[in-house]
Amino acid sequence: MRVGRTVFLIAVLMMVSVKTAPVRAASILGDDWEKFFRDKVSFAGYLENVTGLSIAAGDSKFTTGNRFIMNRLTFQPEFNVDFNEQLRFFISWRFAKEPRYNKEAKDRRRSTPPFPPLDNTFYDEDSFKPWEMVIDVKPTDRLKLRWGRQFISWGETDGVRLLDVINPQDGTFPPPLTPNLFNLDETRIPSWGLRSFYTFNPATNTTLELIAMPGFDEEKKRVDEYAPIAARWTPHPETRIRLGRLFADPIAGNLPVVIPLASSEFPDAGDNWKLGGRITHTFGRLSAGIGYIWGYNPQAGDMVFKKVGAPFLLGPPGPGTPTGVRLKLINDRTSIYAAHFNYSLEEPWKTAVRGELAFYPSKPYNISQYPGSTGLKAGPHPKYSNTDITEKNTLRYALGFDRPTLIPFLHPDDPWRAFNLSLQIFQSIIFDHEDGIRAFASAEKIHKVSTSLTFRIGTGYLGDTIFPDVFVAYDPLGYWSANPAVSYVPSWNEKIRFTLTAALYGGRNKFGSLGVFSEKDSVFLKMRYQF
Amino acid sequence: MRLKNAVYNRLFVCLENGALAAFLSLFLAAQARAAEAELRPGDTIGPHNWERVKEMVGENLLSRIKQGYTFKIKAPTRYQPPREYVEATKKHAPAVRLGPDGELLNHVAGLPFPQIDPRDPQAGQKVAWNFYWRWQGDDFKGGGGTETGKMIRYAIEKDGSERRYDFYSYFLFPRTRVTLEPKPVIPGYENIDSIQLRVDSYPRDSAGATTLEIRYSEPKRPDDLYLYIPSLRRIRRLTTTQRCQTLAPSEFNLDDIDFFRGKITDFNYKLVGEKKVLTNYAQERVPYNRKKGDYLPADEQWEVQDVYILEITPKDPDYCYPKRVMWIDKAAWEATWAMVWDRKGDYWKELALFRIPGKLADGQVVWQQGTGYIINVQNGRSTVISASRKFNIGLSPSLFTFGTMQTITRQGEVN
Repeated sequence: MRVGRTVFLIAVLMMVSVKTAPVRAASILGDDWEKFFRDKVSFAGYLENVTGLSIAAGDSKFTTGNRFIMNRLTFQPEFNVDFNEQLRFFISWRFAKEPRYNKEAKDRRRSTPPFPPLDNTFYDEDSFKPWEMVIDVKPTDRLKLRWGRQFISWGETDGVRLLDVINPQDGTFPPPLTPNLFNLDETRIPSWGLRSFYTFNPATNTTLELIAMPGFDEEKKRVDEYAPIAARWTPHPETRIRLGRLFADPIAGNLPVVIPLASSEFPDAGDNWKLGGRITHTFGRLSAGIGYIWGYNPQAGDMVFKKVGAPFLLGPPGPGTPTGVRLKLINDRTSIYAAHFNYSLEEPWKTAVRGELAFYPSKPYNISQYPGSTGLKAGPHPKYSNTDITEKNTLRYALGFDRPTLIPFLHPDDPWRAFNLSLQIFQSIIFDHEDGIRAFASAEKIHKVSTSLTFRIGTGYLGDTIFPDVFVAYDPLGYWSANPAVSYVPSWNEKIRFTLTAALYGGRNKFGSLGVFSEKDSVFLKMRYQF
Repeated sequence: MRLKNAVYNRLFVCLENGALAAFLSLFLAAQARAAEAELRPGDTIGPHNWERVKEMVGENLLSRIKQGYTFKIKAPTRYQPPREYVEATKKHAPAVRLGPDGELLNHVAGLPFPQIDPRDPQAGQKVAWNFYWRWQGDDFKGGGGTETGKMIRYAIEKDGSERRYDFYSYFLFPRTRVTLEPKPVIPGYENIDSIQLRVDSYPRDSAGATTLEIRYSEPKRPDDLYLYIPSLRRIRRLTTTQRCQTLAPSEFNLDDIDFFRGKITDFNYKLVGEKKVLTNYAQERVPYNRKKGDYLPADEQWEVQDVYILEITPKDPDYCYPKRVMWIDKAAWEATWAMVWDRKGDYWKELALFRIPGKLADGQVVWQQGTGYIINVQNGRSTVISASRKFNIGLSPSLFTFGTMQTITRQGEVN
């Protein structure tokens, strides 16, 4: 680990040296190279520190007293080379280091029988593997190809993903629902692949887009960290109180719940391709598209636990011996039928409307029988007792409304600086819904129709030196989250930005969908220097 | 200041009343001519003789001259539009007419109305169309004329602190083409006046933010506006309300670009008169030298040019600028000054822009954007922008598509 840290520090020093080297040093390369670098190569990036403190001290089950939840240093250099109009190259690296917060690390390592120790899931990047590396080629006027480790984002939503499932999201990177702390692009994991655009008619933006991604190559446990199985952003992973809520223990006389021994199952390389295509077109003021995605879909929210083998005792037989069950966190190959649109409503609405939908045929869900046959909370479902999984056709869609609104009395020095208001409605509909479909860890019922709302408002003050922005998510079942933020960009330096933001979760049931993180309310100070 | 504004506004109200208007127009024109007659290359203008350029510069600049800003007068620079544009004007202008709602009929290419009769009740509308269809090349890259290939913009606070933001833009005029093939219109683009792709390039976090703006010929069809947001890697549609929104941290909005980028048929126009004004059509340095924290050039010389005075009022009563006045150069039909008043009639914003010569591929010398500024006199903030151009580069329509926007990299060029 120390070697990695040293390499990282050397890399930082090298980059700073290169950036600050005297101009005449460049001429060592010769005039042609100097001209090439001056005309064709651009260098940018940022250095950032994020410090997070937990507000809540926890409850009676929370014994760690750990409040220092993040101190992350990130350095991301980016190079762009414009060879000519047909060829362009972009490469970036992300180096990030989080100190091991002793209290949390110790608590995770501590064995609290019957629960096993937990992995540390801090966010580290100390590899020289490029973070993003793409080659853009334009073989013909209407054909664009992008090959390399890249990000592909479909959809229309803000802050929350629905159709944006091509790149997985890194569950160790941000707390949930905090777009003001880390934007979506920062939280995605890049994937190798090929993306192509062919524009049939530029005037109507009639375009065929095809993507091919030959495999998800992540070795680290990044994706499943949202699944509340003692992951980083669950309320108190140290206490392990979240485990085993779905299954009643089938072995009489033992503890009433099963201890799941969970592992992730990723398909072999070569067996986890992702392929997709979509066509977009503009009809007057309506811009729309339809598409299809096929392949491995490592999204935390779409994963299910598959039971492997029969339950077994975790110790010598006898009263009080816990029962274990092997589970695999999986997500099989997925088909997604996709569509999106946006439309501009002019007078008197002055609102941009956008929407997207994703239809998942035979999407897997965990299912159990409630109450359990033994009188306990849950038991194996009689129809699906082998795997505890059922498959249902599922439709997800989102509608968004964006309206810039003038509130002159709140902007006395610039009455035409608008407040940008954004309302989003998300719904998920499970066709042929069956009772017993529940989230594994929380045992929360997943209804036939699930709805959530988000609202965002942001503006700029004092010549855009102060940026307040509030993002709120709400589940009508009674859960909510809020991510208020205020950023400061000094009027004398465009490269510096400070952001103070909070991640707040609550609701009537803290183990519910949005409230699952309620014990991790926290505040963050983000300091960024762009170069 | 408010009293003075009130007097001016009163004058403009009176100007609408026939005889007094004629009298005042003659009076103002005579006064301007008298002032110009006194200006000679080499003259120095400053607080000691500010009366000599009264009515020839914006109210804010006049105030700065009174406070000590000093500059010299130089010989005027004259430009002519390219030959092919002049020929297109000769060929097509005779058929051009105004429709009942002020829309342009039968316009193919070139200047729509080469002859303006100030007594024509539709003179204002015709000047507006001439400004809209002035020669700007068949396409251009905004920023293409600078060494970095970018437009450089400084947002200056009242206390003098500055921030820099760079961007570049591509403009395509798919119809009214006079130089590049296909002429005069790219097939499939008969109903599109212009397409613009504007890409932020500095600082890093805003780099890659890209606006696609499509302006349609149909009078009642609003623009299409799309914004690619790098932090989402998605394209968002915007409403035309955002044409009025301040492009913070600058003091510009989308309609302030090139002094006035509004849709012509959304406004009413009145030709207030003609006069001589001060500008600079041969800027010496781009960007011009200036003291840190100040938006005015430190050592540029100014020259005299003939302009039309065009008053623009919106048909939509909720539009951000209730009154804008532009001074439009009679030869190039470029605006040299614009002034904006707010709903209370108070002076609000002042824009001025210098020009520099540019050379086309065939050697013809044309004018192009140099450095300009906008000052919000009410909050004290200003923006200085250097925006030289490269014309007729043969841009393909496929550049102006969602595919381009979705493959933009931070700092990189579009292709």
